[in-house]
Amino acid sequence: MFSLELAGASKRYGRRHALASVDLAVPQGTSVGLLGANGAGKTTALRLLLGFARPTRGAARLRGLDPFDAASRRGVGYLPERLRLPQSMTLQRFLHLHAALAGLEGAELVHEIDAVTEMTGVRDRLHEPVDGLSKGLAQRAGFAQALLGQPEVLLLDEPTSGLDPLGVRDARGWIESAHARGATVLVSSHVLSEVERTCESVVILREGRIAASGALEALLQPGESLEDLFVRAVAGREAPGPPKHREGREAPGPPKHRDGREAPGPPDGLGG
Amino acid sequence: MTAVRAFRIFAAEAFRDGLRRRLAFAVALVLAIGLAGAQSCTQLGIGSMEVNGEMIDGSVFGGFLAPILFGFQAWAVLAITGLLAADHLARPLAEGSAVLWLARPVSRGVWAAARLSGALGVALLCGVLLLGGTGSMLVLRQGVAIEPAFAAAAATALGALVVASLAMTASLALGRTAVILLVLLGLVFIAFANGVGLAAELAHPDIGVGGLIGAVDRYGPPLFTAIASAVAQWNPHLDPGDTYTQSMLRLAVWAVGGCLLLVAAFRTREIES
Repeated sequence: MFSLELAGASKRYGRRHALASVDLAVPQGTSVGLLGANGAGKTTALRLLLGFARPTRGAARLRGLDPFDAASRRGVGYLPERLRLPQSMTLQRFLHLHAALAGLEGAELVHEIDAVTEMTGVRDRLHEPVDGLSKGLAQRAGFAQALLGQPEVLLLDEPTSGLDPLGVRDARGWIESAHARGATVLVSSHVLSEVERTCESVVILREGRIAASGALEALLQPGESLEDLFVRAVAGREAPGPPKHREGREAPGPPKHRDGREAPGPPDGLGG
Repeated sequence: MTAVRAFRIFAAEAFRDGLRRRLAFAVALVLAIGLAGAQSCTQLGIGSMEVNGEMIDGSVFGGFLAPILFGFQAWAVLAITGLLAADHLARPLAEGSAVLWLARPVSRGVWAAARLSGALGVALLCGVLLLGGTGSMLVLRQGVAIEPAFAAAAATALGALVVASLAMTASLALGRTAVILLVLLGLVFIAFANGVGLAAELAHPDIGVGGLIGAVDRYGPPLFTAIASAVAQWNPHLDPGDTYTQSMLRLAVWAVGGCLLLVAAFRTREIES
């Protein structure tokens, strides 16, 4: 069974196509980076998967179910890009409610809140109002709620937004440990270095379509970084090298195979 | 996680959320003014008084005062309900805090119903304080019967459900100010239409009111008719007949329809994240 599926999914807002016939199937236990320029359709894809919007055409499935079926979101942790925490609620109550909604009860609930707040470093803030937390702490609190109950699917939209370098390193650890225990992780991000370090596969969207997808090791050419691949897939051109010298000498070209062949376009993998 | 447990969690939180809002201070002020008004209006005790040389029993005044005062307070409760419901569902959606709740295994219908219950809970708490206080003063000081107060309170509660569900549904498409205006103008218009309908019924039972006013009176939510027919029992000169029962049945239909409409509208709404 696939944890996340988009089958020919299109989403249109007026005349604009946010997503156009996207096919995506993420098997259980995979960590996938969802990449793309601003407005490429990353957040729209997440909205379809969570049942926040219906595809104009095609279908979305979460844990094999229609995302509009509440049962599909059982065992799903989600961290939105624009994290807005509720007003006038302490962090403890916020996490308590989310733990209860995640199906936890009694001692297990208390233990789980202890565990995630210890892990995300917000344990000493439990009695503070969540809407008064600094951006970095709020992001940690958001991570804490997403990780409650050890979700089997973790959907993270720009997860390192607002975190300091230590927080970014911590977040990488949380994502890696979730993946290590078998969770499916989908990370939508602009921070390519983080995706490169935490995800085994990537899906790159360009103007609502999949421009490249597959295992990182299969997509990247020798000596090529994810940034190079991203530029190649999103801009539709080879990764730019250093600027030309004033006297007109060519700067080094796009990445090539060690035997001198040019790197081919991105192959398909996860996408259809 | 059962739907019932999720509903309980969200409804309790929505109720707390309603109490924490700045609007709660305005509502408390309205309550204080309403109770002060009732205190002032009911100070005239039972007894007889001489008017133009004629002795009039004090209970006659109670028969006029009680319907007007209690009806006005019930109307204030409906207005408060509309104000509370105007953004109780739309605000967390606009702020973005709703996406975290809706990403949990909870159906949208449960969440919408819980927000409705939260707003309604605060409104009904106001109703208990305002109508309970006013009713107590009327019964203790004016010596009127208590049954019409309970009947009118029940009509107010059912009316509040209609007002809250329709206001919340409107808030999915309109801004807060527009919904508040719609609620207040709607309440005034329905009161006018129901008032005209009742007056026509008393004066000429065979002649129905026509036009838009007649249509609203006959098919719209009988918010004013239900309350007025309950409090009319305090006045021996008024005979509401079975208007109360009919109005309550129609209100119940509107309440069920309003809740279904809210859930249906919310299920089709796209959630920003």
